[in-house]
Amino acid sequence: MIDLLQTLGSGVLVGLVYALLGLCIVIIFKSSETFNFAIGEFLIIGSFLFYTLFFNETIPWYKALQLGAVIFLFFSFILFYDKNLRLRIALPLGMVTGFLIFCVFFFGLKLSSLITSSFLRFAIAFPLGLLAAGLFGAMVERVTIKPLLGRSPIAMTIVTLGLGFFLRACVQLIWGSHAYPFFLDLPDITVEVGDLLFLSDPIWAGIISLIIFGLVIAFLFRTRWGLAIRATSEDQAKAMAFGINARFILLLVWGISALCIAVAGIMISNFGALQVSMGFVGLRAIPVVLIGGMDSIGGAMAGGILVGICEALAGAYVEPLGLVGFKAVAPYLLLLIVLFIRPYGLFGTVRIERV
Amino acid sequence: MLTVENLRVVYHDVISVLNDVSLDVKAGEILIIIGANGAGKTTLLRTVSGMIDFYDGDIIEGDIKMEGVSIRGLDATDIMKRYGVTYVMEDRPIFWYLTIEENLKAASFSRWNKQIKTDMEKIYDYFPVLRPQQNKKAGYASGGEQQMLAIGMALMTRPKMLLLDEPSLGLAPLVTEELFDIIRQLNRSGITIVLVEQNAHAALNIGIRGYVFETGRIVLDGTAQEILENEDVKEFYLGSGERESKSYKDAKRYKRRKRWL
Repeated sequence: MIDLLQTLGSGVLVGLVYALLGLCIVIIFKSSETFNFAIGEFLIIGSFLFYTLFFNETIPWYKALQLGAVIFLFFSFILFYDKNLRLRIALPLGMVTGFLIFCVFFFGLKLSSLITSSFLRFAIAFPLGLLAAGLFGAMVERVTIKPLLGRSPIAMTIVTLGLGFFLRACVQLIWGSHAYPFFLDLPDITVEVGDLLFLSDPIWAGIISLIIFGLVIAFLFRTRWGLAIRATSEDQAKAMAFGINARFILLLVWGISALCIAVAGIMISNFGALQVSMGFVGLRAIPVVLIGGMDSIGGAMAGGILVGICEALAGAYVEPLGLVGFKAVAPYLLLLIVLFIRPYGLFGTVRIERV
Repeated sequence: MLTVENLRVVYHDVISVLNDVSLDVKAGEILIIIGANGAGKTTLLRTVSGMIDFYDGDIIEGDIKMEGVSIRGLDATDIMKRYGVTYVMEDRPIFWYLTIEENLKAASFSRWNKQIKTDMEKIYDYFPVLRPQQNKKAGYASGGEQQMLAIGMALMTRPKMLLLDEPSLGLAPLVTEELFDIIRQLNRSGITIVLVEQNAHAALNIGIRGYVFETGRIVLDGTAQEILENEDVKEFYLGSGERESKSYKDAKRYKRRKRWL
């Protein structure tokens, strides 16, 4: 009995992180009917951005220079064409951003030498890292998704598939494919009640994921920007006709989504180490959203927790029977069963189609 | 107020929809545009409101001017904010899964400020049927209520010019009449209205001037009265021409004449 409770508890904690992954997919799917297959790569890049800021990780000057150049080109281009700024303003602005990026990646943020308290360091680096990840998501949207606005959602989905491979190669070029040690050193909040033991890291992961999840929901349902996002999710053309800038809303959604993925990535890295192959964890979002329903935010939460529990149960009770590795398969089996019973997922909107 | 000069619009780089369309809208009038399906009426409204990009259309020739200033190539949101042109799309452009109140709030996104509450009250005064249903999902409202909500949403953007695309689509005749009354009231309160309609008779009755579109060209223009009395329009749009003259030969004759117009 204690065993079961222990398993369920850890399953729920991991499930909360998965729920966040699911949320990222759901908000993008709702707003542009696109499935973001590059979620794994977003996850690694978000984690690496945070890693750079938090652990003062630097990269060689030529790599940093290339990164800076890319950022410079991107920003001057976007500011010049998209914001209709003059070249005289756009070029220097691009240069400043490019130079900043170069400095951060080459010299590092030097947080560790400035601040000794690791929790304070985390409190500074975490929002900065998330902001960077959000900006990165917005950049990706500008380059790959915006030109396809108004085209078929399938086109965008295929683009995200290709984007995934491209970003993965980029990460390997910049940071290599070896593992980076990842230890956040957050205050110890291990819970020990009787025979039950929950470690500090999963609890932190669960709490932070839950907070971010709550913040995103509050943003969507309590603010006027959230209302605009929900309106745009329903129909981009209608939203544009009523003066909602659908292109900017899409940018915002991708930014928020990349930000949440980064949170999940950081929390998952904290369980072990950070490396490129960790991107496959991102694909755990597929059973999460399909079980919960592709277009339901509450479904993402339910799906995430179900997948977490299912994984933990399989790991604790099925793997000892000799089925090593069943833990990774179990969510997909659960997915199959759910889809047999409810083809639209547990909370998905049933689409009415007349034949 | 609005002038369109020699406009040519092409979809997907190949499908030519508008050819050499020139027209002008005077401030404070109700302009009626009638024409068969596929004549380019909706495309014209999309082009004027700046939505044409979204549908993968291009303006290859001509210009659109608002009070003398070219608005060609501007974004839909810019056109709405700067010039107060609001486009009410066809088939009740409301957000089905938002409540009626949320719909109105969403429509006022571009000019969010303190006056939203009073403006919403005004809309509920205009359309009393909406008030008791504030918290109902808009998708569950009836067709007439949805169309009224759509116009209410357009009013929340504080328009100077309303482009209405077939507001009577799928509505009962009585509801249509009520709707057209409201449109006339809006016009009296100072909003210029461009009304695209299939329901030619009812529309021309409230209109001041009108244009007839035919395969991407303007084939006829004049005051609403003139158009109502035109023999060809009577025959082919109002369906009230002489019965015996509706033979195939005459249709051909009309087509031949159309080419020369």
